Amino acid sequence: MVKFYQHTSSFEHAWDNVTYAFWLRYPNPFASHVVGCDVIDRQVDPETGVLRTTRVILKQGVLPRWGRGMIKNPDAYIIEESEVDPKTQTMVTRTKNLNHVRVMQVEETQTFTVHPENPKWTQVKTEARIISELRWGLTGRVESFGINKFMDNSAKARKGMAHILERLRQNAALGA
Amino acid sequence: MSSSIGEKCTNIKQEYDSCFNSWYSEKFLKGDASPECDDLFFKYKDCLMKVLEEKKLDTLLADARKDNPFPNASSSSSAPS
Repeated sequence: MVKFYQHTSSFEHAWDNVTYAFWLRYPNPFASHVVGCDVIDRQVDPETGVLRTTRVILKQGVLPRWGRGMIKNPDAYIIEESEVDPKTQTMVTRTKNLNHVRVMQVEETQTFTVHPENPKWTQVKTEARIISELRWGLTGRVESFGINKFMDNSAKARKGMAHILERLRQNAALGA
Repeated sequence: MSSSIGEKCTNIKQEYDSCFNSWYSEKFLKGDASPECDDLFFKYKDCLMKVLEEKKLDTLLADARKDNPFPNASSSSSAPS
């Protein structure tokens, strides 16, 4: 079973700053479950000038009661691959969980572009796919849990980014 | 700045992150893509690879990265930034 999710939002901050905040987004008060984040690979494509990065993120999971029997280790590892094209001002990020994939696989793509109505703002398109291969009639429940959890986390992630962006704006205002 | 998944790599990771953050905001976004943080990145990666192996994440990562998320991208080069 698969569930899809789509959302478009915006930040009242310039594209440059939003993509910069993306790298700085952990730690933030809305992501206390993120305990580690590492860069595995990073390079600039010599032909296109696109910056390509692979990161791995460790999250301490919060499981529903019915999930505790299925998952012994509640830690979740996330792989995040991203591309930043400074010429077209486009950043695309793709994340998915590395473990617990049989219970639930969440794949998220985010596209950051200059806002079509205000060049000083940034538009973010979020697309996600939530898949569970569980049998025994649990899939529906897992996926509903997954989509609700995803929407919650998505809202928290936006708050986290907004927090970092506000901090950057304050630092800039102070000339720091 | 965030911690590394491997506690012992956190210092070198944060040193690399500082270098990258300045490079990204002051050079890369302004059109200068010449690398600046390679030495720090190699030191950091050296530490990190051992941690990933210990946590048995290396195989998980290799498998996950087989599905290329950016199929239109040209083949990757070796120099990190």
